[in-house]
Amino acid sequence: MSVLRPFSAMDMFKFNNINLDIWTETYGINFYLDYLARWPDLCCVQEAPNGRMMGYILGKAEGSSTEWHGHITALTVAPEYRRLSLARSMVSRLELVSDQQYKGFFVDLYVRCNNALAVSMYEGFGYSVYRRIREYYGSLGVGKDGRDEEDAFDMRKPLSRDPQRRSVRPNGREINVSASSVS
Amino acid sequence: MSAVTLERQFRPIYESLDNGSNKSAVLSCNKLLKKYPNSLLAKALKALALVRLQKVEESLALCDEILAVKPLDEPTMSAMMHVLKGLGRNVDLVTMCEEAYKLQPQNEEYGAQAFFANIRNGNWKSAQQISSKMHKQFQEDRYLYWSVISAILQANDPSTPGNMRTVLYRLAHRLVASSPTPSYLSADRFHMHMNILKELDLYDEANGLLESEVGKVICSTSLACSQTRRDIWRKRGLYKEEGKRARDRISEGDRNWLEFLSVLDGTFTPVASSQGEISEESKQECRESLVETGEFLAEIAQKDGFKNRAAPLALTELKYRAYKLGLYGSSVLVESMADYLAQFGDKACCFEDLKAYLDPDIASSEQWETILANQNLSFASIAHLQRLINVRKLQRHGLSDESMTVEAETARAVNYLSEYMEGLSLGKDLPATELQPSDDLALLSAHAFVNVWTLNGSEEALYNAITVLEFGLTRSRMSFLMRIMLIRLYRILGAPSLALDHYRAMNVKRVQNDTLSHLVLTRALTFSLAATGDLTYPTECLESSQIYLVNAQETSGFVVRAFTAERYTQVRIPEFIEFEDRLENSLQRDVVKMEHVRMRLTHEQLHTDIIDMELIELKFIFDRLHHDNRDFVILPNYQPACQPTFNEQSLMFGRSCGQGWLWSFLKIYIRAFQHASDLDETVEAKLLIGDRPKTSPDPETKLPLPERLAIRKSEEAAELTSEERQLMDWATALGDWLEPHHNYTRPPPHVVLAEAAKQTELKTGSPLRGVDSKALNGNGNSKKDEEAPPIKPVPELVVKFFEDMHSEFKRLLENKCSPSHLLHIATITQEAYILLAVETLRFKTPSVVKIHKLGNLVSMIKDIRQKASSVVKEMSFELLKLGEAENIGDRRSAIAEACTPVTIGQIDNDFILNVVKNIMDSRRKVLEGVAKGMSKLHNTHSHF
Repeated sequence: MSVLRPFSAMDMFKFNNINLDIWTETYGINFYLDYLARWPDLCCVQEAPNGRMMGYILGKAEGSSTEWHGHITALTVAPEYRRLSLARSMVSRLELVSDQQYKGFFVDLYVRCNNALAVSMYEGFGYSVYRRIREYYGSLGVGKDGRDEEDAFDMRKPLSRDPQRRSVRPNGREINVSASSVS
Repeated sequence: MSAVTLERQFRPIYESLDNGSNKSAVLSCNKLLKKYPNSLLAKALKALALVRLQKVEESLALCDEILAVKPLDEPTMSAMMHVLKGLGRNVDLVTMCEEAYKLQPQNEEYGAQAFFANIRNGNWKSAQQISSKMHKQFQEDRYLYWSVISAILQANDPSTPGNMRTVLYRLAHRLVASSPTPSYLSADRFHMHMNILKELDLYDEANGLLESEVGKVICSTSLACSQTRRDIWRKRGLYKEEGKRARDRISEGDRNWLEFLSVLDGTFTPVASSQGEISEESKQECRESLVETGEFLAEIAQKDGFKNRAAPLALTELKYRAYKLGLYGSSVLVESMADYLAQFGDKACCFEDLKAYLDPDIASSEQWETILANQNLSFASIAHLQRLINVRKLQRHGLSDESMTVEAETARAVNYLSEYMEGLSLGKDLPATELQPSDDLALLSAHAFVNVWTLNGSEEALYNAITVLEFGLTRSRMSFLMRIMLIRLYRILGAPSLALDHYRAMNVKRVQNDTLSHLVLTRALTFSLAATGDLTYPTECLESSQIYLVNAQETSGFVVRAFTAERYTQVRIPEFIEFEDRLENSLQRDVVKMEHVRMRLTHEQLHTDIIDMELIELKFIFDRLHHDNRDFVILPNYQPACQPTFNEQSLMFGRSCGQGWLWSFLKIYIRAFQHASDLDETVEAKLLIGDRPKTSPDPETKLPLPERLAIRKSEEAAELTSEERQLMDWATALGDWLEPHHNYTRPPPHVVLAEAAKQTELKTGSPLRGVDSKALNGNGNSKKDEEAPPIKPVPELVVKFFEDMHSEFKRLLENKCSPSHLLHIATITQEAYILLAVETLRFKTPSVVKIHKLGNLVSMIKDIRQKASSVVKEMSFELLKLGEAENIGDRRSAIAEACTPVTIGQIDNDFILNVVKNIMDSRRKVLEGVAKGMSKLHNTHSHF
């Protein structure tokens, strides 16, 4: 049970329990304001009844013609609220808005290749790997998992506007592109 | 100049400015001005380069020249906007843009600039008028919505009176209605429209729109619109209808808790609407709907199973509400909670979920205690461990006052710790970046130890808590909860460097500085070694304040972008402006600023420049309406409901530094600086470069400053420690005593101005703006007509303060109190010593003393200073001795000995010794550092 509501600028004063977790980046103020001003309906918060933030999603809509799609930029849940399907409900909200409001063809996201847990979670939500982006997280350098640590999977899920499922492909894991070729 | 020549001439200047070569930009401008002495653009660019070179006075002179001509060409205006922004002269900026638009009403760009200048300055009314005019002129929808937003912003401004609010919303409503395109073409405009209707209680109109096909579609995808719709239905009293609608949504698969709340509110409508005594009839009606809702929720719960906890929790909430209304007995509620625990006990949030229903009589009921006691607990899996943790938290929450004994709490702490150790095996294969599933047991153990400390005041319990947490961090490197607890405990124990290490390890950045810096910067003067030249804390203050500069520079620009850019929605603007305001006028910002001033005076010379500058800044702060953004919710709390929270227990000196603290210290410092300064209001107005910030609508800010400074409020004093309260009283007595002499001997404003004008002329070659130096010189007579005030004897408190502080210091020293408290007394005494120097700075000048015959006063001051000086010296000596004692091995082993209760599992003696050693080292460092700083200050200020 959680309240699903729009992300508000004032949430920046409240999101410490989520953002102090090491895997969640705290960006500059502008980053959030930009998302909130441009895609207010793609940025939501899950809140506990006592007002504590549990997690949030930030997304955008981009691309042209058949590449027009919703994109999940950040998805995060505070450690104490994990394993409650919060991610699923936020993602499906974003899919709904991308589909009905923005009329996108698909929703996509980037995930570190070695983050098996996240990859399988997204697969559970209906996403599949579309391509592998080399050195997407390059700034970290090659870690102990080698290339998997700095490469990202671009995972996609088709929406109702793509009934033929043209935005996905079965052999996505074998398709390699460089980081500079994606936005 | 032809356009081409112009372009060729100016390009290098722009390039220099872009590259930051401001000096060469000035040179190029000078060259150009020789050829074209009237080129406004060259002047404006030169002014810009000068501002960036910090040559404010020269830039100001140029600015005035340019503004007098009322520039109209875009390049000059654009350069001037940067100059004026840099100088903080927004009022001039507004005037310039408005003038330009007035002269060229067909210029859309100038209209927009005039609008933004007003928005940036918070002149909502002018912004509204300009945008209305623009809408008429250019017939663009966009401008109509600009004026709608301006009206809303004005309505929401705290300085707008209540009745005006409605008028403005009505205006907004009229404007929206006049739009040629309906608001529902975009979800944002629709949302704004709905909010206006909600504010004006125009429910029928709202309903018409909401019930329309388009309205329904918008609400189904826009959470914001859907929320406004819900609010409107509730305001209309349509709880039942709303409940029914929510039920449909839930049946369709929506699991938003707001929908469940709507169902529950609908269920209790029969009893909620009746005033006072609830009739038996409505109770009966409610009972029936209770049963029905219960069945509905149970069905959903059945369907969802473990997948979603909304329905089961809503069932508990239903029974809780019914219990509170006397419709159900407590056992029904407890059973429901037991079901919930059985189902979701292996989720980390189960404790939080149930805590809301644990009223004291429920928590302490035998039924509930038995349920908790009969849980089958084990370490078989992570899920089992989580259940165990939830049960421990629930049990601890319900502990009674009687069970709060040192022995019982110690036993619990040890028990939590052993369970923690056992639980560690379940997470032994996790990567180093993951959190251990049993972490919360370590937090519980530390909580219990902290409670022992509050019960018996013995530091040993804190050492135990710290050992547990430090060990926990070796297993869960990323546990920020452990770090936050450690920061608090280390500060209490007087080991600030360790607290700072943990704070830095949390990697607090950007906006988090505003919400979290209170953890280490509250009363940081206590630990500051700035007097010895170690600028760790002052630097930390400056760094954490960077975010406010970023906010000032970027957020308002962002608001402007939100107004103009095609892809930006405008509904967010009021929210962004509120955000900017909350950061700009953040309480923590100014608490840190105050702390920085206090530290600054310990390491910088008391020069009138510093005093004048800080005086002006502190006076600005004194006029602000503050927002408290500090995050205290982030601190974990697993203390029993009958005890204070961990946050309350672990506040250093038991007091938080909020508005009351800030107000008190501002009063102390503004008064002292005012006494020391020659600036009076008229001089200040002449010397001020930028605009004054907006003042708070609080009527108190309208009072004359001396009156405001004299106000004392009990709620403000409540945030001060006893030593700080004494400092306040002392400063008041000292100020009252010396004020007449300051006022009498302070040079009259025209003399001060003449001197300032002379200095400016020496520096810049041109006279001070708006000051006629000839007129000033002609009237250089500084003799006053009135008689000199009589010299009164020294108020008793002024001397006694130092004696009192000293005896309290000695008493605590004998009682072996914690170093942080000793440091607090010492640094407050040191602060009084510095303030004494500030208050008497004026009487250090022999000529002043001679002319005004203040010999008697000076000898009294000398006397006070000597007494203060010896106390400071004495304290410094004692602190140094104490610091040395921290280094003795015996003491270390004695403390380590006291930590035997926590030698459990992998915590061994060596680990404890190491923890103790780190604390001792940190303590020694701060004690010695503060001692040395005091001795240095003693030398600086002992001569008069």
